[in-house]
Amino acid sequence: MNKTIDREDIIGARVAKLDAPEKVTGRTRYINDMVLPRMLRAKIFRTDRVHAKILKIDTSKAEALPGVVAVITGVDAPDGKIGVIKDNPPLKKDKVRCIRDELAAVAAETEEICDAALRLIEVEYEDLPPVFTCEDALKPGAPVIEVDRPDNIAMAQDFSAGDIAEGEKASDHIVEGKYNVHYVTHCNMGVSCCLADISVDGKVTLYSQSQYPYIMKMDLAPALGIHPGDLRIIQPPVGGAFGSKLDVYPYEPICVLLARKTGRPVKLEFSREEEFIASPTRQPVEFRIRAGMTSDGIFTFRDISTLLNNGGYTSWGATTPYVTMRTCSSHYVVPHIRYSARAVYTNNPYAGSFRGYGNVQATWMLETHVDKMAEVAGLDPLEIRLRNANQPHSMTPQGSNLGCIDLVGCIKISAEKSDFLKKWNAYSAQWDNGERYKRGIGIATSLHNAGGAKIHKSDGCGTILTMDDYARVTVMTGASDIGQGSDTVIAQIVAQELGVPLRDITVINNDTALGPWDVGVHASRTTYIAGNSAKRAALDARNQILAAAEKQSNVTADQLDLRGGHVVQADNGEVVIETGRLLRQMHFAGEDAKLVMATDYYEPPTEPEDENHMGDMSAAYSHAAHVAEIIVDTHTGEIEIEKIWSVQDVGKIINLNGLEGQIEGGIAMGIGYGLHEDLKIEKGIVQNPAFRDYHVVTAPEMPPIDMAFIETDDHEGPAGAKGIAELPTIVIAPALGNALYNATGVRIDHPPLNPEKVARAIWERSNKNDAE
Amino acid sequence: MALPQNQIPTAFEAFVNATSIDEACKALAIGDGTVVAGGTDLWVQKDEAHKTFGPRLINISNIEELARIEIGRDRIRLGARVTMSDILDNGDLGDIAPALCEAANKFASPQIRNAATIGGNVANASPAADAVVPLLCLDAKIELSKWDGKKISTRDVPADAFFSAPGQSVLAVDELITAISFEHPGTNPIARFFKSGPRPALEIAIVSLGFSARLAGGKLTNVRIALGAVGPTPVRARKTEKLLEGQRLTDDLKAAALDTLADEISPIDDVRGSAWYRQHLARTYLQEALHDAAQS
Repeated sequence: MNKTIDREDIIGARVAKLDAPEKVTGRTRYINDMVLPRMLRAKIFRTDRVHAKILKIDTSKAEALPGVVAVITGVDAPDGKIGVIKDNPPLKKDKVRCIRDELAAVAAETEEICDAALRLIEVEYEDLPPVFTCEDALKPGAPVIEVDRPDNIAMAQDFSAGDIAEGEKASDHIVEGKYNVHYVTHCNMGVSCCLADISVDGKVTLYSQSQYPYIMKMDLAPALGIHPGDLRIIQPPVGGAFGSKLDVYPYEPICVLLARKTGRPVKLEFSREEEFIASPTRQPVEFRIRAGMTSDGIFTFRDISTLLNNGGYTSWGATTPYVTMRTCSSHYVVPHIRYSARAVYTNNPYAGSFRGYGNVQATWMLETHVDKMAEVAGLDPLEIRLRNANQPHSMTPQGSNLGCIDLVGCIKISAEKSDFLKKWNAYSAQWDNGERYKRGIGIATSLHNAGGAKIHKSDGCGTILTMDDYARVTVMTGASDIGQGSDTVIAQIVAQELGVPLRDITVINNDTALGPWDVGVHASRTTYIAGNSAKRAALDARNQILAAAEKQSNVTADQLDLRGGHVVQADNGEVVIETGRLLRQMHFAGEDAKLVMATDYYEPPTEPEDENHMGDMSAAYSHAAHVAEIIVDTHTGEIEIEKIWSVQDVGKIINLNGLEGQIEGGIAMGIGYGLHEDLKIEKGIVQNPAFRDYHVVTAPEMPPIDMAFIETDDHEGPAGAKGIAELPTIVIAPALGNALYNATGVRIDHPPLNPEKVARAIWERSNKNDAE
Repeated sequence: MALPQNQIPTAFEAFVNATSIDEACKALAIGDGTVVAGGTDLWVQKDEAHKTFGPRLINISNIEELARIEIGRDRIRLGARVTMSDILDNGDLGDIAPALCEAANKFASPQIRNAATIGGNVANASPAADAVVPLLCLDAKIELSKWDGKKISTRDVPADAFFSAPGQSVLAVDELITAISFEHPGTNPIARFFKSGPRPALEIAIVSLGFSARLAGGKLTNVRIALGAVGPTPVRARKTEKLLEGQRLTDDLKAAALDTLADEISPIDDVRGSAWYRQHLARTYLQEALHDAAQS
């Protein structure tokens, strides 16, 4: 009898990320490390004003500095603009609209010469009256930032379902609230960097950290005055992006223009200070909410209006309401909904997309507010959420079928594991016991798309799969891996279908001249959509192999399987032939010669929102619940997180290591948002552009995280999986805020809950109590 | 195109890798010198254009005698290039100067503690300098040396009189900090150091407070209170010290001390915290220190 091979399941296993060994040994080559022959360095001259007319830019002294090869200003640039509504000229000629504005750029032999040249550039301005708040920018007669938008409104979204008046009538309680969420930024460990190289016939190769290389060609080309087809984006490993590279920002066209002017490769890299000042932020939002319920705590209506400080230009920040709206309208069952958003131009820095998108902001607001409503209704935080929870396959007011969700399971499991109710009751009885250190526990949940988001005409991803003579597999995917681990997930899915070891699979995802199209890495979509495309391509290749094996044996293809690099009989695992040997036989078969190759383009069964914001834009939806237990020092206001419980509906686990890593990383980012991170902007100027005064969470403060996963087995996702990457960032912050209230009786509606704010609120509460 | 060497902008014209105090002081006497030891703050200040380096860079990291910790019967002497990690690793300092060790333990991050020196923390003259606060409580003296043309001459400046403004001190351009010394505080002193911030590393103090005293017959003596980041330099709270000196710690006295402290410090609002919060923290820390003192 021949050797037999058992079936091995790599889906759901613990797999080390494919890029981990290179990264932990410091061998990964980022763009920041790259050097091309004859390469120049570049730096951007940025304004120190927030709103001013540019009268004159004098670059003559900079040009005269030895070692400087080119200096460019807006005069040297094509007229094409960048940004979501094309309101941002990469080099500003006429007007300065915010502190980061790019007025000129230098290419020189060294970075030091660039810096010296920047100091020689002289600009004459005429200052214009600035405006910094939405409220001021909406006043009649306010300074106009963008000539084409005299009302200062960059973007507007409105949604309604049902009838608010009816909802009010049905309400026994109406709870109002105001929440202002703040500026934070991505803090990528790898600072923004690109390298441009131009061929003799004018074709552009840009080494970029982009998260959306294929659509980027369309967005970037007009700013260069070239055809998108003449642009090739190569994407070496990225040192973090988290949404910050989902748009074209001025530094990339500037770098290309310098390469074109000098005829040499040009690399442009930010300093850390620049990274804080000149990369996008998370969108700050001012929320106003009125929400009603019956005396039983059943939600009746929600009326929410939001103002978004758009800053000087429009990037993806202004579009975050599309996601904010989904949470506002569809998280918990609410019959009557009204939602509005206005993104208002100001002279502040501007926001882009950021992991969790508008949902980090929405969930802070909503989950804080739901806790307040519970108190009014006399319910505990679990009961109000359970009474209003969405059920599987329910239809949302925006026309999404939520599919196989399990919000109730998320709430119940997290509550049970954390012994929530017992602690919650005990801690809230201790507010006025005079102890310095107080414990609190809080819960929050959210809803997020987990199968892409059709914001473009296609939300698809392509795969090209080839196998060589040794059954080594090359998977060219359109999907970008910016560190989130999608290459590993794709390799696992392919390995499962083709029965080859993981190390025999090479995933290539870094070149628009090689790979097939993908919409970009965002919206928790890559595992789902690129995973499905890879799975379908692998199935195609599998069928080609099994068909050839059928010819060679007396076993039909449907009774064969691929395991451990061999074709085997499915029932008993008996080896039929080594897969590599079969592939060689197929290859060297004379006139019948065949290489195993497969291509696939997967388009998820989703639809873009219509003009009324109706549409099932994601192929899957998912929930998570987080419980946080904290200890508050009521004197200093410092919060120590003792433990976090996270329960998330993941559809199906593919890589357990990757999943846990995404949840830990997401929670670290969410803790930063809730407790520490605060990009302080005063009169348009960033006050703390350094890690010294912008506090990200460091390893020692990370609490233990108890994770549980619910596998709802999505009918469409690859192996039943859903996208998982954003929810961990979204949910934790309001759980911390709710825990602070449980510990101290103090509510802080405007994050972050930094020690000073907490200490002040506790101090004010105790003064008030003393006075009473 | 290769650039002519003399046209590349350079920061330094000379690098002196000193191996003795003599050598370093002689190099300083020429003028235009910048002294570097750990460089942990100096380099950041240079990169942020807050500090201009002289064309002569004088490295004192390799001067053996500056790296010594001398525990005498009467006096403790720390060479200027003793690092924060050296202080933490020393077997005796934990008992002799626990507040100094606590400050060293909360100083920046482990990597920076390995490089940052006690002399550098003093020379930097930051209002928020962690190690300076316990040094003020210890009545430390800063030893300054210079080449007077014939020999090395030294002078001792009390830590209290050393600082004049943020980043400024009485250190002359030709002087080198060679040591920090203080009287042996005897056994079992009360000594505490408090620093704001929830994270165990990489915090710049919003407020720091050092407290030391002896308890004799139920009365506080030798009371020293010093604070960081509540004024342009690290400061002693002399009025509060005076109020407590020789007294029994009653609840009334504690309350009076907190009010006196609030009156004698004048913190400002800045990006790290408001004046209100600084006052609040100073009060919190003194309260805790007095509570501990009463317990001991």
